[in-house]
Amino acid sequence: MKIIACVKQVPDTTEVKVDPKTHTLVRDGVPSILNPYDHYVVEECVRIKEETGEGSVTVITMGPPQARSALMRCLALGADEAVLISDKAFAGSDTWATAYALAQAIRKIGSFDMVFCGQQAIDGDTAQVGPELAQQLGIPQVTYVEKIEIDDKQKLTIHKQTEDGYHILEAKVPILLALLPPTSFQPEHPPMSSILKAKKKPFNVWDAKTIGGDESRFGLDGSFTQVIKTYTPPSRGECELIEGDGKDAAKKLGEVLLKHEALIKR
Amino acid sequence: MGIEIVLDKCTGCGLCIKVCPFAAIKVKDKKAEIEANCTLCGSCVDVCKLNAIILERPKPSDKDLSEYKDVWIFVELKDQEIKKVGFELASKAREIADTLGENVGAVILGEKAKHLCDDIAAYGVNVVYIAENENLGEYNTNNYAGILTGIILKYKPNIMLFPATHLGRDLAPRVAAALEVGLTADCTGLSIKDGLLLQSRPAFGGNIMADIISPNARPQMATTRPNVMKIQKPDPSRKAEVVSIPVDLDSKATKIVIKEIVKTAKSGAKGLDEADIIISGGRGLESAENFKILEDLAETINGVVGASRAAVDVGWRPRSDQVGQSGKTVSPKLYIACGISGKIQHQVGMKGSDTIIAINTDPEAPIFDIADCGIVGDLFEIIPALNEELKKNLSKD
Amino acid sequence: MVDYRFTEEQELFRESIREFCASEIVPKTEKLGEVRCMPEDIIKALAKFELLGMVIDPEYGGLGTDTVTAGIAAEELARADLSCSIPVLFLVGTSWGHVIDKYGNEEIKKEILPKAIKGESIIGIATTESDIGSDLGNMKTKIVKKGDKYVVNGEKMYISGVAEAMEYGGGHVTLARMTPEKGTRGMNMFYLPLKDTPGITPTYVEDIGREAISCGGFDIKNVEIPKHYLLGEENKGFYYIHEGYELARGLISLVCAGAASKALENGIAYIKERKAFGKPIGKYEGIQFKLAEHHVKIQALRQLGYKALWTYDQEIQGKASRFDVSMAIAMAKSVAPFWAIDAIDDVMQWQGAFGYTKECEDQKAWRAVRSFTLAEGSSEIMKLIIARELLGKEFLAYR
Repeated sequence: MKIIACVKQVPDTTEVKVDPKTHTLVRDGVPSILNPYDHYVVEECVRIKEETGEGSVTVITMGPPQARSALMRCLALGADEAVLISDKAFAGSDTWATAYALAQAIRKIGSFDMVFCGQQAIDGDTAQVGPELAQQLGIPQVTYVEKIEIDDKQKLTIHKQTEDGYHILEAKVPILLALLPPTSFQPEHPPMSSILKAKKKPFNVWDAKTIGGDESRFGLDGSFTQVIKTYTPPSRGECELIEGDGKDAAKKLGEVLLKHEALIKR
Repeated sequence: MGIEIVLDKCTGCGLCIKVCPFAAIKVKDKKAEIEANCTLCGSCVDVCKLNAIILERPKPSDKDLSEYKDVWIFVELKDQEIKKVGFELASKAREIADTLGENVGAVILGEKAKHLCDDIAAYGVNVVYIAENENLGEYNTNNYAGILTGIILKYKPNIMLFPATHLGRDLAPRVAAALEVGLTADCTGLSIKDGLLLQSRPAFGGNIMADIISPNARPQMATTRPNVMKIQKPDPSRKAEVVSIPVDLDSKATKIVIKEIVKTAKSGAKGLDEADIIISGGRGLESAENFKILEDLAETINGVVGASRAAVDVGWRPRSDQVGQSGKTVSPKLYIACGISGKIQHQVGMKGSDTIIAINTDPEAPIFDIADCGIVGDLFEIIPALNEELKKNLSKD
Repeated sequence: MVDYRFTEEQELFRESIREFCASEIVPKTEKLGEVRCMPEDIIKALAKFELLGMVIDPEYGGLGTDTVTAGIAAEELARADLSCSIPVLFLVGTSWGHVIDKYGNEEIKKEILPKAIKGESIIGIATTESDIGSDLGNMKTKIVKKGDKYVVNGEKMYISGVAEAMEYGGGHVTLARMTPEKGTRGMNMFYLPLKDTPGITPTYVEDIGREAISCGGFDIKNVEIPKHYLLGEENKGFYYIHEGYELARGLISLVCAGAASKALENGIAYIKERKAFGKPIGKYEGIQFKLAEHHVKIQALRQLGYKALWTYDQEIQGKASRFDVSMAIAMAKSVAPFWAIDAIDDVMQWQGAFGYTKECEDQKAWRAVRSFTLAEGSSEIMKLIIARELLGKEFLAYR
């Protein structure tokens, strides 16, 4: 199985804070990490490759030169090869332009059986690049994938999460799958031996010229959406704290709730 | 075009670096340098005291986009009925269309859809485009995307809104890519500014808001989460024109086949999406068993129990109960957060609630920043006492 | 001239171990104040992350990395565990595992190393006795050959890891006098298992810090060990043992730096928030001067420590001499505990009365780091080593 996994390096948004006085983002000391969804994706790809016995896992990302460390992490997790597409021309890319660049790079990588991505990235949270990439590559997609099994005839059995349960789907390659990690998923830190192996694996850096395609479709030029402003969300106002010890406070809170009597009784 | 540092003016003071949400500016040799991951949001331009940053946005294209008219919505069905989010979208679309002086269109794909036209018309939809076929009963990306793309190319709507449900988030980007148009996900605000759809959405895990436009391509597409847009009062006297779209599906060409549908959520029970009162628990509950305290209170006041990610990750509550950025977005009338610290990622999922009440032993917990009312105290003491109090009062009548 | 950068693997390793510590070590450190023997789950976690055999030959299950990379692990573990119990377990196992790897025969290496690397047993060091510390040549413990075995008699005291070795298995690299009349030129270095060894009677002592790694000793009464437990050659033990001490001292320097760095970060967070006389105390110059001084010293210590380990690696490659190593290592360890404890002490001072309570995290580091003025070689000896290098052997004191 030739597998391509699209990953992204993101700021750890669980660590980002907003300065209460200036209402701006405090980015100091916020580490850049491999998108946690993508971490799970790479582990799954490696598992599938090992179970099917042969093939390879190529990880690819579009990002600045620093994104190299996210790809090295993927190689340490067991991916076989990494591709970093990086160029100032990609600046300002929205999800469409990102998908375009990735599609170009994937075509340059060559043939593939499956493309994987995480369901979403924790900075943008759009979940759009996967489906847009699938459309551009002209392959079917399944999103919200919870579980995948492959038989020896390359038939896929997929659990796709729905709002009230899941569907069991059957599909064939080529296909794009957007994965959801299970709630219990904890990213495993690769130990030193994996890092040493990672260093020896092929690592390609491609610029816009190398991946080819229509220049006007990269970056800001190629984007259909534009961010025109960012700001901190407005506050809701002061919180009224109820004083008193446990039982006392509970009583007062009860009075507050009883104001919604109609709602409560229905 | 793009962003440029005026090197003569720049002193490398670094003010711009502090406000860049994307860490896309560095200082090299005492001058600021913009990196490849800049999104051109413009935060740096506003803050530079020396006017050393020039931001030029792409000029609006010469294309004549005036033939694209009307505000459309995609109506998702569940068990052959319209999902509540459809009415929320219709209400919003009606508001936007009124601003523009245009019509509202709704697209429904399903096995049978004609019987639903009046329901959606009551929310201000002028035209309902329906595509009926037995193969459309269950969602399939290729089928839905193919048909929807065709309808859009034919009828040329100006704006198209989707629900940010599992289906919507699978379908909308596929269609946007096929049409080569802009799509903005999870909008919490939609309005018209300078004739364009102004799309506001949270980013960075909810830490900041971004305003986005799609000036050069049509339709301008956006998704919104359930329980974010307010539903207007329906007017049953309103009627809509019905346009039947011929469907030509080659079922053999369907490469993805549904083998089984499994439902794990308790049926019949009121979901978080519909609840008027939600009592949520977090790490402070300390165990799965302790959630009984919240369930008891929920029983007394007709509420539904929700959970923060912390409680779901350790297996105390199922994922379907999770409220937050990677869970559900809810906007009940009353949200009571118990033992939840209230990080941004949770706040994003419940900020739209009318009244928020917080109970936590930590006075510094961020949940108090957005709560309307709260108690710094022990939930194990307060919740049972509260339950008793309310039971007494409610049984009096 | 000099490239002060770590290699890419080392940077990735630091990132990875920092995450490992955050999710697997820090949550476990709460219970460390209550135990006097390293809990098994921590040892297993370290083994799983491949920390227990970092510098050991891959043939025995180790990674064969350089000691600078081991230094990174030491620094990060100290940041994660301010009580320094886990870093001590790490550095002792690393240093003395390396010595067994270098001087042990095939038989003992195969017997001891793979198990220790998997976290199934412990490796420690036992040279100190109740009445002997720096003056090793005069120690009480003696070893004689008896047929194809050796018999050991004596005692060791103030030894780390006795409870762990008794509990999990494993043993200590030990020094004893084979040819007493030759003093330091007549000593054997050998491996001594403690668990289920007839003649070994352990005792335990409560030291004032690094609680979770045990401190104790053992009586050695006619303990028989097989021939292959001898490490290196007879009578040359005193020379070999210094290689283990030196690696340990280099790692200790980085443990001190790591603990002090973390404490200083805690201090910075505190002085930004805590107000007195209307201002955060971080705004006062007196506090800022101290902060700057400690930061400089800790960064200087890091440089001394990594340079010392780099020199150790250079010697392994034949590019530095024994004396280069001794000097570099002694320099780092001579100042490490003092500079670290100064910083930690001020961090506690900034926190006022709270800093003097057990609730304060930093006091654990204060108590732990104090041990490093004596562990694996006293600061006084470090200074004598430096002076010897500068003045020449003829000026050696105590000769």
